[in-house]
Amino acid sequence: MSRNQAATAVLGFLLFVLTIGAVVRQSRQPEIVQITPTLTGRPELCLTCHQGIEEISASHPQEAFGCVLCHGGDGLALDADLAHATLRGGRAAGTTGNPSDLSVVEESCGGSACHSGAAENGRDHIHRVLTSVQATYAGAIAQVNYAFGQQPDATARWGVFAVQDDVITTNTGVPFLAEFSPGPDAPEAVHAFAQECQLCHVTAVPLAQPYFFRATGCAACHTVYENDGLYRGGDPTIAKDEPGHGRSHQLTTAIPYYQCNHCHNRGNYSLRQMTFLERDDLPGPHSLSAQEQRELDYYQPIAQFTLCEWELDCVDCHTNGEVMGDGDIHSNQADIQYVQCQTCHGTLAALPQLTTIEDPEHPAIISANLNPNYSVVVGDTVIATAQGETFGWVQWDGARLVETGKVDGRLYEVPLVMGSACQQQPDEQESHYCHECHAYEREIGG
Amino acid sequence: MIPNMSRPNFFEHLHPPTIPAREARFRYTFGLGGMSMLLFLSLVVTGVPLMFAYVPTAVAAGETIRAITYVAPYGWLLRNLHYWAAVLLVGLGSLHLLRVALSGSYKPPRRLNWLLGLLALLLSLLLSFSGYVLRWDVDTFGALTVGVNIVRQTPLIGNWLYELLVGGPYISDATVVRFYTWHTLGLSVPVLLLLGWHAFRVRRDGGISHLQSSHPPRISRRELVQREGVTMLALLCLLLGLALFVDAPLAPAVDSVNGPATAVTASIAAPWFFLWVQALLRHLPPLVAGIIMPLAVTLALALLPWLWDRSETGTAVWFNREGRLAQIIVLLIAAGIVLLTAWEWWG
Repeated sequence: MSRNQAATAVLGFLLFVLTIGAVVRQSRQPEIVQITPTLTGRPELCLTCHQGIEEISASHPQEAFGCVLCHGGDGLALDADLAHATLRGGRAAGTTGNPSDLSVVEESCGGSACHSGAAENGRDHIHRVLTSVQATYAGAIAQVNYAFGQQPDATARWGVFAVQDDVITTNTGVPFLAEFSPGPDAPEAVHAFAQECQLCHVTAVPLAQPYFFRATGCAACHTVYENDGLYRGGDPTIAKDEPGHGRSHQLTTAIPYYQCNHCHNRGNYSLRQMTFLERDDLPGPHSLSAQEQRELDYYQPIAQFTLCEWELDCVDCHTNGEVMGDGDIHSNQADIQYVQCQTCHGTLAALPQLTTIEDPEHPAIISANLNPNYSVVVGDTVIATAQGETFGWVQWDGARLVETGKVDGRLYEVPLVMGSACQQQPDEQESHYCHECHAYEREIGG
Repeated sequence: MIPNMSRPNFFEHLHPPTIPAREARFRYTFGLGGMSMLLFLSLVVTGVPLMFAYVPTAVAAGETIRAITYVAPYGWLLRNLHYWAAVLLVGLGSLHLLRVALSGSYKPPRRLNWLLGLLALLLSLLLSFSGYVLRWDVDTFGALTVGVNIVRQTPLIGNWLYELLVGGPYISDATVVRFYTWHTLGLSVPVLLLLGWHAFRVRRDGGISHLQSSHPPRISRRELVQREGVTMLALLCLLLGLALFVDAPLAPAVDSVNGPATAVTASIAAPWFFLWVQALLRHLPPLVAGIIMPLAVTLALALLPWLWDRSETGTAVWFNREGRLAQIIVLLIAAGIVLLTAWEWWG
């Protein structure tokens, strides 16, 4: 065999092997899963890899929304880097990959037909959240600045980002906040506060450790994270053993207390040391029952609370307006938190305020449609609050007041103060007076 | 029936019956011209099926590139082969030019063929650039924007050239159609014809450039075709290997309405073979860096057999004494391009 023939044989064989390689690679291409969401009319291949992921919510059906409308990204690319390079909320370290992060929420969730519409239509969710103390952190900033002589009163002037409100509807609303950034002359403590103490608002990236895992933006509350931060859903691309993921790819209004507790009841800020002191009584003994664990988790050891305050979930009492804001910029959480024991239990002199739903488009019905655990129909009589909100899940059946747990659907009969042996004074109606008698003695933990 | 092996086959017929042995050796030509020829044919063979899938509009371009890359069976392979054949063509074609310049093979009577080859290489660069633009992603959109605005700097005819390329005052569907048509017809057909003419001129000019001696040892064309076959097989292995293991690049899509869709901006906008122009653009006015310098390089190369080496001896001698000046100029140009490219790539 000549040199040419030998080389031809070797190279011919190599070409054959490479051709087989191409056939093998083609045979390993993924089975394409394509959807064409009705709202965009543009095909998307995301489910090729993410087959099995949960639908985000019943109000955002996959057939209508698909993935790209909210998440951005390249829906036609099947290369992970390219597909995700343009995701809203980013991919890089320090970003969340979360389209509801407040830095991108207007693009992802906004629009007048979606969540940045008119207040009259109840579509001003983004404006309400951006102005709320949960996002601005204005209360804490004002308190610290005031305490260290940086401002003459406790009225908010700064937030973690600049924000303005053109339509003020309450007495405590302020027109705008500038971005908080202590100047060179500010006391060291204020600098330390700016450095150390800004974990507690929905734009902050949380500590990456058990109990603290959560998302940012809308998903900080509406996407449930387990305390261990592990994903329990069906998307094969999300590692099941890698902490830092939501329980599932879902938005919900059935928000369990432990989701709120990824921020609340986690410990205390020491103003003296200007540092966060994490509570140290968790997870508690292994022998605890689920109920005992809940009782231990719910509040910090020093907290005073009543039975219903840990048997129910936070969202059973705290309203949409209190939590997401009322559209005004406030200087303090106290400016917006108004629900008291009497909202549901009434007083010695009066039943709680009730209203009968007549409008089929009533917010109580719309809210109920977003929650799988209770329903409201025209003709139902429900709790109404002093601020004009309704508790559609607490209904008067003619003789009794019955609460349906928003998170688990459990039924509770709400005891009424009227006709009871309660000895409260008519001018002592705030909850802390109720705690004088009804405080619950925790038997475990601190 | 066993074919009569003593009769020359089709490929053998493309060559003269015998070839001077010295110049038929691989280490004289490195097979660069033949390999470039094969690469161009590979580009036609892989390009035609891509035309069936590619839809040249601003919206559909990126979508159909993705359909080819991710959905169509063997689409990834076709696109990768097309990409790597183009990369290799620019590389090996340039090396072929260098070989011809340094071995004095441009000297009379081959001066016309030097021009034909140079023109084919220049048009191949434009073909590569238009192919790059047809990817229609944020990187190539950046290159397109820079490129057509450089063209606009051309004195007197700049605006006319711009509109000729862009198909209107703004980049739009018309731009994609124009680049597509230039790529698939307007440039590729002329290059194909030029390469045919180029090959024909090699025969007409007395075969491969060779020493002027009376009775040099010669080899048969059968031997030559076998060597070429081995080289081509090796090249195909390289091409297929690259296509199999290294995917052609693709960047985030361009928003058809608002231009680049995202804040992801490419640090490198030009395709790799124009990075040297991009490096110049950083430091010189666009007219100088984008028009005058490339034109000067082109002219310096085109006029090489007239300006820098008018001798008729030294043909087929690597680094022949007569062609010193031409060799120095070509090497300086090559070194400049390589250094600027490296600077832009790593800098």
